[in-house]
Amino acid sequence: MTASNHNPCGLQRRDFFTSSASGLGTAALASLLQEDGLLASEYQLPLTHIAPAAKRCIYLFMEGGPSQMDLFDPKPRLNELDGQPMPESLLNEIKFAFIQKESARLMGSPRRFRRHGECGMDLSDLLPHLSTCVDDIAFVRSMHCEQFNHLPGQLMMLSGSALQGWPTLGSWLNYGLGSESKNLPSYVAMTTLGRGLPGGASSWSSGFLPSQHSGTLFRNQGSPVLNLANPPGISRDVQSRSLQTINELNRVRLNRVGNPEVASRIEAYELAFRMQQTAPELLDLSGESKATLEAYGLDRADTAKDTTAGFMGSYARNCLLARRMIERGVRFVTLFLSTWDHHSHLDSGLKRYTQISDQPVTALLKDLKQRGLLDETLVVWGGEFGRTPLGENRVNFKTVTGRDHHPYSFSMWLAGGGVKGGQVIGETDEIGWGVAKDPVHVHDLHATLLHLFGLDHKKLTYRFQGRDFRLTDVAGNLVDQLLQRPA
Amino acid sequence: MNKAIYLKLHLSSRGYSNNGAFFSPENGDPVTILRQQDGFGHSALIPSLISWAARRHPAIPALSFPPNGIGATAARVRMFQPRMSQPNLCPILVTTALVLAAVQNRSVASDVVDFQRDVAPILQTRCLSCHNERDRRGGLSLQFMRSVQAGGESGAVLVPGDVDASYLLGLILPEDGVAEMPKGEAPLDASQIAVVRKWIESGAAWPDDVVLEPPVLWSLKPIHRPNVPDSVVVPAQFPIRNPIDAFVAARHADAEIIPAVGTDRRTLIRRLHLDLTGLPPRSETVEAFVQNTAAAAYEQLVDDLLSSPHYGEQWGRYWLDLARYADSEGYLGDSERPHAWVYREWVINAINHDLPFDQFTIEQLAGDLLNAPTLEQKIATGFHRNTLRNTEAGVDLELYRTKEIVDRVNTTGMVWLGLTLGCAECHDHKNDPISQQEFYQLYAFFNNTDDVGVPATRPWQIAEHNDAMQIWQTQWDELLQQLQQFEMKDLTAEQKGELMTKLHDPGKLTEINAIETLYRTKESGWKELTTRVEKHNKNRPVQPSTKARAFAERRKDRRETFVHVRGAYNRPGDKVSCGTPAVLPPLRARSAVPDRFDLARWLFDGDNPLTARVAVNRIWQQLFGQGLVATANDFGTQGAPPTHPLLLDWLATEYRRLGWSRKAMIRLIVMSSSYRLSSSSNSVAGQQQAGNQLLWRQNSYRVSAESIRDVHLTVSGLLDRTTGRKGIRPPLPAFVTEVGRSVKWPVSQGSERYRRGMYIFFKRTVPYPMLMTFDAPDATVSCSRRERSNTPLQALTLLNDPVFFECAQALGVEAAQQFVEKPREAIHMIFRRCLGRPPVEDELNYLAAAHDEVLQLMEGEETVAGGENRSAAMTAVARIVMNLDEFVTRD
Repeated sequence: MTASNHNPCGLQRRDFFTSSASGLGTAALASLLQEDGLLASEYQLPLTHIAPAAKRCIYLFMEGGPSQMDLFDPKPRLNELDGQPMPESLLNEIKFAFIQKESARLMGSPRRFRRHGECGMDLSDLLPHLSTCVDDIAFVRSMHCEQFNHLPGQLMMLSGSALQGWPTLGSWLNYGLGSESKNLPSYVAMTTLGRGLPGGASSWSSGFLPSQHSGTLFRNQGSPVLNLANPPGISRDVQSRSLQTINELNRVRLNRVGNPEVASRIEAYELAFRMQQTAPELLDLSGESKATLEAYGLDRADTAKDTTAGFMGSYARNCLLARRMIERGVRFVTLFLSTWDHHSHLDSGLKRYTQISDQPVTALLKDLKQRGLLDETLVVWGGEFGRTPLGENRVNFKTVTGRDHHPYSFSMWLAGGGVKGGQVIGETDEIGWGVAKDPVHVHDLHATLLHLFGLDHKKLTYRFQGRDFRLTDVAGNLVDQLLQRPA
Repeated sequence: MNKAIYLKLHLSSRGYSNNGAFFSPENGDPVTILRQQDGFGHSALIPSLISWAARRHPAIPALSFPPNGIGATAARVRMFQPRMSQPNLCPILVTTALVLAAVQNRSVASDVVDFQRDVAPILQTRCLSCHNERDRRGGLSLQFMRSVQAGGESGAVLVPGDVDASYLLGLILPEDGVAEMPKGEAPLDASQIAVVRKWIESGAAWPDDVVLEPPVLWSLKPIHRPNVPDSVVVPAQFPIRNPIDAFVAARHADAEIIPAVGTDRRTLIRRLHLDLTGLPPRSETVEAFVQNTAAAAYEQLVDDLLSSPHYGEQWGRYWLDLARYADSEGYLGDSERPHAWVYREWVINAINHDLPFDQFTIEQLAGDLLNAPTLEQKIATGFHRNTLRNTEAGVDLELYRTKEIVDRVNTTGMVWLGLTLGCAECHDHKNDPISQQEFYQLYAFFNNTDDVGVPATRPWQIAEHNDAMQIWQTQWDELLQQLQQFEMKDLTAEQKGELMTKLHDPGKLTEINAIETLYRTKESGWKELTTRVEKHNKNRPVQPSTKARAFAERRKDRRETFVHVRGAYNRPGDKVSCGTPAVLPPLRARSAVPDRFDLARWLFDGDNPLTARVAVNRIWQQLFGQGLVATANDFGTQGAPPTHPLLLDWLATEYRRLGWSRKAMIRLIVMSSSYRLSSSSNSVAGQQQAGNQLLWRQNSYRVSAESIRDVHLTVSGLLDRTTGRKGIRPPLPAFVTEVGRSVKWPVSQGSERYRRGMYIFFKRTVPYPMLMTFDAPDATVSCSRRERSNTPLQALTLLNDPVFFECAQALGVEAAQQFVEKPREAIHMIFRRCLGRPPVEDELNYLAAAHDEVLQLMEGEETVAGGENRSAAMTAVARIVMNLDEFVTRD
């Protein structure tokens, strides 16, 4: 299957973000008018290459590179070797962002690991909440990549390329499957309380895909989407009356000139108005039980005195909103939490960031499961890379208290949406330097994620600059072990 | 309407010859040429290919071509002995003569299969694009007998005389309509298969001296000026105003399609204004044009608009898309490029001055290498300084330097050659005749440039500074006089001198205390005065210092260029030097070591088949919404073929003839009847469902993101029409700017806030949301054609974006004040201002009803928009009109 520009699965579909006929006179007026009726009709299942297991995804993006050997991947041998230099042979080919190779020393982890769940998973004491649902989770300890700088690594993880300008995973899915939601965008991104991202809006960009496949930035308070609220002084009634006339006049024009784009415009205005009515409801948590709010930790006191005060509540709120969006048909939600980039003060930094995220993330998993949503909702947790087993001895550092970027082996986890939980995939070597068993490259992860959505990563293509581009570029192998239903 | 007539025109316009026999200049032997159609009913010989071969085989004498027959039937069969003895030579050998034999497609007329007549055309059209010496898909080449005998990876392909044992036949025989070969294409038709079968049965004869050429891409064929069709019957509503119309009409007649009527004058003037300047016409201009039915009125309008400074903005913006212009570096940090606008201003000026396209190109690619380059020519090299740059701490700088060069090669390929060279970064191009080595030969041109900042303070900056300085100095002098009154009475000459020095070089004066001892500081007024002096001193206008981002050729430590194995810069392969793709005409360098200047000149070599076609297609695209080649950046095999190949070539030759004057080319196109057709898809009964490939009507489409802003600001009267200069930052909510790291967004003040959309500061990681919502490119790579989506987010933006609401308010208030107690007249005014036409009765009634009801609603509500109710209700009307499809559409 080679994708046509707008509809890779060959399905005629009009939805929230793809209501454009776009081309010049490509769609016949008759079929468009007919499709106006489709607004009211049921959503039609998209065509996929294979039967999909996942329908939706919540991607918990941990920006900065969380330290795997302090959270997920215990390394007793590394602890023994604390303070020792690395074997030179291992360092030869390696590039670091900041470490000075010659004087660098291995650094053990101060965290304690314990086994949890029926599957007996090792987790750090920084993750007391997550420890209670390890049987639903597949941990991958053998992730690897080549990008040792933040933005290239993030772009790689989000879009399959270290260069700016490629479509992100959510855009590919939107392009491949269309939108399930009529009143909300199908691809939403949220950041946490004003902490910016290295890539800014390129973190949810549609790259070279048409712009309607781009993620939409939501915020978790006030008016969720830019320009959703009426201008000052325009009441809902005035807005409604205005829209009536806009559509009346657009219909006069449609009759006069017959161009199908006018019909699309009418439809877009109707959808916009509906979104104005429904989207604010998304943020209204008054219907959530006290137990739910507490489980997510919306009311937790935020003790930090630094500029990140307010983080805990903000991130908890994002997690709850992610569930609410999933319930309302949003396909792909990315929640960014910035930043796990602990070059120094690693231990206190990890405490802070696990304090922010462990409880709400766990609550989200349990909430999804309890509501029967987890089966079809894929949850992914991870950053752009991990951190070095070496302590970071950057030139101007007086003491060594952190770790540098490490893309050569790191951990992520996945749950729900057709993923086989309660297992660990892959191993790193005894000091956590390289992958020792079952390596999973970022491209492999992407191939698997698309597979879970019923898409063959080799067939989901888009012609751009003379080439058929894929999320997985020219690589990617399915990670069978991750699948509940092996391919 | 008459296919036969049209076909005749078509043939004669290409100089087809149906009975010419050609002879080899070498030995006088007759040479046979088989006709091959390329899908458009025309085809041509390919001197470029020949010359390519000639360069690889210098022993072969120059080729001669019959003067008139060249543009005619394609000839691909060559008859001279392959020089297989030279191992380094490419096995595709060169013919030295070509002969036309037949024009008609031949079927097998007799039982005897003639290889050249019957088999060769099938192999050429259906097999050779993959199975040639260069690509050898499956290890197989079908270019000459010996390669066929050698077979491919799967072994022998045919056994002469034994059809059943011949692998080839099994591959091409369809099963359920699908055959294994040609891969991914329709199978051969039954008569073709019969030919192949018969050929194998009869012993698969293939004369030793016959070498087949792979089919040559239409866009690589030389450009010949086609004759203008001169006997096409056209309907009255479609007068032939210039040759464009003749070519377009010929296709209408051929396809039996009826052209639409010419559009009405109101639509026409709005179309022309939007296309040429990106701004809508003023109501008065529209009325004057409607009244003035003189024959020259339209032409005058065209000339006026082409000399408007806004023309350079509109056409400059298209160019900036290609140049991937932005005001920041990209990637993490994404720091500001504070003087990037200097290049933008250069583009606008160059286009306004109609710098010919060849010069326009040469200055941008190699302005620094011109003889004694002017500052403007150096500024022009900013074109390739617009690439993304990764400055993240700890990053592999060499990696990203090479990525910038790769982008420069790709962009050069797409913008001027319409070739997707990027495919050859890691391996030979899979589809187009560009090898990986050739990619790095082009890369070499850009591998020795240094990024420099050229002092480029603009004359207007200096003038503005001088003005500001004059005002400042007057006030300063006044303050000094006041100071003088506080001087101690008995100052020595030396002390007076000290004061003079310090006060007249205010840069040195940091604090007044330093000279306080010379004044009577106890007197009243001293403190106030010194405060003012100090404050004024600090407000001294800063001398502008602008540095243009430019290229300079590296003279020392020059880098060598190597092929990057699989695209990895740290895996150097063969060393290469500057060079151009072999499939294109040779590079005529000024010296032994070619440079960027040679490359730029080569683009405009008279034999270059691509540059003119690509350039003229872009102009066409901007005036019809779609190019004659729909894929403006890809004229390769994966791109779209031209809908009007003859017209495209005629325009290409005309562009050259017009001295590459962009204005002249635009003028030519907009003067045609084809441009002036109605864009309504129902304008011809029964043709509504038809696509518009054959241009029976104009196209109707939403204006660009920047123009959306511009039309709002224009009709509301808020637009600040300043051209060029620095970018602006319209207000943005914090949650938008906060998604990036440390994004400062100091909002522009005063009328600057109302400048055109193209001046909005483009920060790559935090692009202005309105622009992105309306499909502005993200400036990561060159953009040849924008998407035009139509989404609910766009509706929300048009309805609720504060800037657009402000525009509605301005217009609503103006209308309400001008027509007190006369709402219908006010509505009329708003409608004409926005759409350039009076409302029809229905429209007026709908709007009047909306106005009355909104007014009632507002009177029933506590809060009202824009203060007074009537103004607020009229604002609501203006807002409705500004949200109409027609308002944001160029019909």
